[in-house]
Amino acid sequence: MRHGAAGDAGTWLIAGAASICLAVMLMVLLVLLSAGLAPFWPASLVELQLRDGRSVLGERVATSDDTLILRTSERERAGGAYMRIADRDIAAQTRADDAFVIALADGRRLFGRGDASAAAVMAREVASNAIVEETLRPNAMGTPTRIAVFFRHLGRFLGTPSVASASVGGALPALVGTVTLVLLMSLIVMPFGVATAVYLHERSGAAARLVRSAIANLAGVPSIVYGVLGLGLFVHGFGASIDRALYADRLPVPTFGSGGLLWAALTLALLTLPVVVVSVEEGLARIPASLRAGSLALGATRSETMWRLLLPAARPALLTGLILAIARAAGAVAPLMLVGVVKLAPALPIDGEFPYLHPSRQFMHLGFAVYDAALASPDAMRGIPRAFACALLLVGVVIALNLTAIVLRHRLRERYRALES
Amino acid sequence: MGEVVVAAGTVVVLGALLIIPLFLIVNLLPWKPLPIGGWERLGVLLGGSLKAAVCALLVAVPLGIATAVFNAHFCAPRLRGWIKPSLEILEAIPTVVLGLIAVATLAPWLKLNIATLLATLVVVPALLLGAGMIFGHRLRRHQGWLPIGLLPVVLAIVALVVAVASQRSEVSIVPASPWNAVLIGLALGLAAVPLVFSIAADALMRIPAAHTQAALALGATRWQALTSIVLPAAASGLVAAIVLGASRCIGETMIVLMASGNTPLLGIDPLTGLRTISAELALGLPEAEPSSDVYRMLLLATLALFGLTFVLNLLAERVRASLRRTSTPGMYAA
Repeated sequence: MRHGAAGDAGTWLIAGAASICLAVMLMVLLVLLSAGLAPFWPASLVELQLRDGRSVLGERVATSDDTLILRTSERERAGGAYMRIADRDIAAQTRADDAFVIALADGRRLFGRGDASAAAVMAREVASNAIVEETLRPNAMGTPTRIAVFFRHLGRFLGTPSVASASVGGALPALVGTVTLVLLMSLIVMPFGVATAVYLHERSGAAARLVRSAIANLAGVPSIVYGVLGLGLFVHGFGASIDRALYADRLPVPTFGSGGLLWAALTLALLTLPVVVVSVEEGLARIPASLRAGSLALGATRSETMWRLLLPAARPALLTGLILAIARAAGAVAPLMLVGVVKLAPALPIDGEFPYLHPSRQFMHLGFAVYDAALASPDAMRGIPRAFACALLLVGVVIALNLTAIVLRHRLRERYRALES
Repeated sequence: MGEVVVAAGTVVVLGALLIIPLFLIVNLLPWKPLPIGGWERLGVLLGGSLKAAVCALLVAVPLGIATAVFNAHFCAPRLRGWIKPSLEILEAIPTVVLGLIAVATLAPWLKLNIATLLATLVVVPALLLGAGMIFGHRLRRHQGWLPIGLLPVVLAIVALVVAVASQRSEVSIVPASPWNAVLIGLALGLAAVPLVFSIAADALMRIPAAHTQAALALGATRWQALTSIVLPAAASGLVAAIVLGASRCIGETMIVLMASGNTPLLGIDPLTGLRTISAELALGLPEAEPSSDVYRMLLLATLALFGLTFVLNLLAERVRASLRRTSTPGMYAA
């Protein structure tokens, strides 16, 4: 064997592992993008002539080797009109230009053929008391129209509340719940995280080593354990005590004694504390020592140096820590399942009614919406696409925050490079 | 005044670490025996967690460590600037999303194609090794860009495998459940790759470049420098990466909750479903009445989970600290 051939083979093997990692990441993003955006695309309607003489009009929702699943007019309830049709039973397939689909506000779809008056008759007949959201003729649409409809659907998904079963309608409450939760969490975590980072930066004794290893261990505790703590200590412990002391007249209906926004925010604050501490401390450490020495030499006390000089200079690091914490919190779903996330909340945690923010209310969350739509939806044909749409939204939010953190970190480095020279 | 604020914040952080075990122990303290079958159930759950973690590590450790080794030792500097951020983005994807992909996209395919997966696991490394032996010496100067060169090849192999698999109609290996330990291994392993990678890469980067250069100057190939100098020096860091990866896999909740089938069965067959401690907590605790038997059993399970991950983290932290003391990162200047 040639000299070094074994080494070359080994190199190729680990290079292959690296490219598998890249390939998998690309495929995950691709699956997410395609499956997450597909629900908003106006799909073509097909009319199938079956061998037994019937003909059915509908939307193809799934295909496998020898069968397809067709969604036909849902006259009774959403999810009640799927047909599983074997390929061998189909005599012919056509795409009629005059086929239309009526989308009702309760999530049902009606399919038919004919002109505008036929659609109006059908809507009146089947759904006299339901609101017609839109009537589309996807088969007659050109690509530009389809794109316009796609963006309209996307806008509606982002901008409207969910209804009834939470498996139809928009994702606005989940988005608002997620954002409110992480903002409240940031208000709680930032002061403590920054204080600890400052402590670690200023001291280097046995106590600092203890705190440092506590932080490292806190980062490794599984998120579900924080959820158990939140449920047992915050909800059943603090919450029940607050209820007994302040809301005794409402008992046994719990106010703070059941899961809610405040307890979820506290739980997430504990979860994200290590992230904030580590990144703020890193930012403080990167400030040139000459700056600090200069300030002390000019007669500033340590405390003045910290408040007037180091913390302002580390402002981008604080922002980085905050954004990473938010990204971590937005992705943490498991602890929330124990401390107050629900599939359909009666009211938003934030509204125009005094005191505007309602920390005891239950809330909806994008991550939980993904879980719920994927596994607990009564209509899997709608649940899975909806779960992917929510997942794409969640990933979009998280990746945008992470990219912001990376850009901020880069700017911070440039700034100190300028200071040093 | 600033000092007081800082001290107060630090006390809160210390309290936060102590409060978890304290809370669990205080709540379990007037000790009452578990209901009949409680210990058996705990054992099954613990076994499920360990099984999920082992399957995931079988995926995460080879991929994560190999990528880290390539990144640190062979990679072209410009490509290095891309691999790390890519894996950071993978790490940022919430696990609930990976669970969704596992249960909605991967599971239906895997149910029919376990044999294809096994064949790929044999064929792809064999192809890579063979190609490296034959073409390796000609491309040695460009080996820093190999992952990009191999990317289309890997994607083509995957596409080919999927295409071939969809042509066959008979299924040669039928799993007991579509939500099985193999699926968990793939999804959870993927989630753990970035963590294993970043810790292993950190350890490898601490090995002074001068060591490698000395070996190369004495006539060693890059591969020989890697196996005889770099890997032994970074071994403890790689062990820490594996241990932290294990800790992460044991505690992960959403992926196992969504894709494991949640069947409390114990066995080493990787084609059956499983149920982990974390999934049991997420499913059981919201319904459990405080201070009931079930609630206490779940708290005991939490304590077991916390203790297990705590010990693993402590171990990894020790190993990494000793590595930090013995190596001098200042010497690394490429």
